[in-house]
Amino acid sequence: MSGLEETSNESSELKEDNDFDVEVEGHVEVDYASDPFRLYMFYRDRKEWADLEPVPQDDGPNPVVKIAYSEKFSDVYDYFRALLKKDERSDRAFALTAEAIELNAANYTVWHYRRVLLQALQKDLREEMRYITDIIEEQPKNYQVWHHRRMVVEWLNDPSEELEFIADILSQDAKNYHAWQHRQWVIQEYKLWDNELEFVEKLLEEDVRNNSVWNQRHFVISHTTGYSSPAILDREVQYCLNQIRKAPHNESAWNYLKGILQDRGMSSHPGLLEQVLELKETHCSPYLLAFLVDCYEDALENNNQKETLNRALEVCEYLAQEKDTIRKEYWLFLQRSLESRFGPSAASGEPLADGTEPPAGQQELS
Amino acid sequence: MNAPEKVLEEFEQIDFLRDRHVRFFQRTLQVLPERYASLETTRLTVMFFAVSGLDVLDALDVIDRNNMIEWIYSLQVLPTEDQSNLSRCGFRGSSHIGIPYSVKGPGVLHPYDSGHVAMTYTGLTSLLILGDDLSRVNKQACLAGLKALQLEDGSFCAVPEGSENDIRFIYCAACICYMLDDWSGMDIQKAIEYIRGSMSYDNGFGQGAGLESHGGWTFCAIASLCLMGRLEEALSQRELDRIRRWCIMRQQSGFHGRPNKPVDTCYSFWVGATLELLDVFQYTNYEKNRNYILSTQDRLVGGFAKWPDSHPDPLHAYLGLCGLSLIGEPNLRKVHPALNITQRAFQHLQQLQQTWRDNAGTCT
Repeated sequence: MSGLEETSNESSELKEDNDFDVEVEGHVEVDYASDPFRLYMFYRDRKEWADLEPVPQDDGPNPVVKIAYSEKFSDVYDYFRALLKKDERSDRAFALTAEAIELNAANYTVWHYRRVLLQALQKDLREEMRYITDIIEEQPKNYQVWHHRRMVVEWLNDPSEELEFIADILSQDAKNYHAWQHRQWVIQEYKLWDNELEFVEKLLEEDVRNNSVWNQRHFVISHTTGYSSPAILDREVQYCLNQIRKAPHNESAWNYLKGILQDRGMSSHPGLLEQVLELKETHCSPYLLAFLVDCYEDALENNNQKETLNRALEVCEYLAQEKDTIRKEYWLFLQRSLESRFGPSAASGEPLADGTEPPAGQQELS
Repeated sequence: MNAPEKVLEEFEQIDFLRDRHVRFFQRTLQVLPERYASLETTRLTVMFFAVSGLDVLDALDVIDRNNMIEWIYSLQVLPTEDQSNLSRCGFRGSSHIGIPYSVKGPGVLHPYDSGHVAMTYTGLTSLLILGDDLSRVNKQACLAGLKALQLEDGSFCAVPEGSENDIRFIYCAACICYMLDDWSGMDIQKAIEYIRGSMSYDNGFGQGAGLESHGGWTFCAIASLCLMGRLEEALSQRELDRIRRWCIMRQQSGFHGRPNKPVDTCYSFWVGATLELLDVFQYTNYEKNRNYILSTQDRLVGGFAKWPDSHPDPLHAYLGLCGLSLIGEPNLRKVHPALNITQRAFQHLQQLQQTWRDNAGTCT
């Protein structure tokens, strides 16, 4: 939903300090501060627009969530609505869309109409790129502006400015979801993979905890070399462990490590368990311990050994009671679940109170 | 032992200011200042936050339900006389296009008038919450409009003119089909494929394939599958356990939406509801969650903000309440975690659907 998510949260980031106004009645005049010599002329007073009948908004007798627009705002949009009704294709219409956008860049109808005009009037798309670049720099968390840019890039079939532009937006907010989404689209659509891993490494050096960058790393590698070759997999595993040594309390690095190994034999990767157990002494974290549990679980699925189960249960206990107490109930639940799946009582086949089914007892699993 | 003054102070800081929130939502439904202009095209969703929020607070009696129902119906894009606009039907977010106010058909032909999938979703839920029987909804038109929005890859656009496409609109579509009890508006199989394709290496869901996993999109994925009745068909037990782990790791005090990001009140619902749908919300820390949500409460104007000492807004006010409802805060109605309406409104929907089935059965 536009305007609703973390990635587009205009209303709670408003710059004014005043609290939510209680009563706002009627219109507010164009104020003297911004237009002291009254140079601004309403569209309704401009001779070149006299042929158009403005179209007001009509919410009926009992409007809900009504926004109290100033005279200037209403005037611009009354004329926008008039143009829309006629589906007028003209330069004056094109110029007005820019004013309407300035007043509300989230109005997707205005953007759509502008695109219709861009094509109908054969407007200069390079100039449009400059325009949309400026708008995105001002409002980088708006869905409509990014969609518009994507359309223009597609029409021009020219992604040559994109990577640099997105890098600039990311330099202001390295986790901007729209920016990363646009970047992935550009790279995939135009096959611009070559330098992306380098870009990822640079950003990870700046902030090894940036989860968006770890995601991008996975995106690049999975679409280029892939993870099936042991050389690549091992390189990535070592890369992770090195980053963890530098910044141990980093969920992103541990998620990446688990992510690339979880279906490729976590517990059978040579030397990994040993390295993790070593790190446990000096670079412990809830993520390391959770990873250990997952390693043991993976091992148990291939070879159910009492010793492995006990270790797993111990780590769950340690997490619950000491290292990740906020999730105490979850770790105890996981403990019960492991017990019922791999423990001696599993042979009874009775489900636990929380519904987990114990399919196998303590034996070799085929 | 706490000194008495200190205990009193702690209690004051964490008490829930019901009446302030009621008034916050009442004001939201009336008039907003111009600086909220960016909400114009989504006013119906803002209405949903307020109306559903009042429902959660059991305070719907403070508003004029009938007037509001009329306003929602004025936003329905109805078929024109010649039915040439069926693929554009649904609900608008507001009157911003300039169609003259009307609560009945036929629809007015206008080159740029069409529904928006999130507005159709929140229009229908708002009608239900207000007690309407949806008898004036042109269901076939809504479903035709919905069908026109689904792409080859299974995702949905928001409007027929074109927009970004992603998992949010699959969720809206699933809610619409669920409420209208008619899945002809979407290709479920393709939607499931898109959802599965959005699962990240770290077992959360992104907005689409390859994208970073995020609490909001994970909610959209899981809630959609639940509404479709396909959760266990689409995801294996192993995958479900991994998703549970990703979700439960989002709790820091309250919840955040992505690893290494700050917590934000709205994720107490997005992630909390997902955990509830996956049967493990019971294993989260209710006290820390509650303390965080209440720390973002605006004690003066009511509502909740994403962070403490920030401006409240209707979305966070509503989702903060839903987050509290999930942990069983007293005097708050329970919320249906997939449909995101109260259980009371949900029961009304179930009764309506039973009536539709009975009537269909007696048609000759």
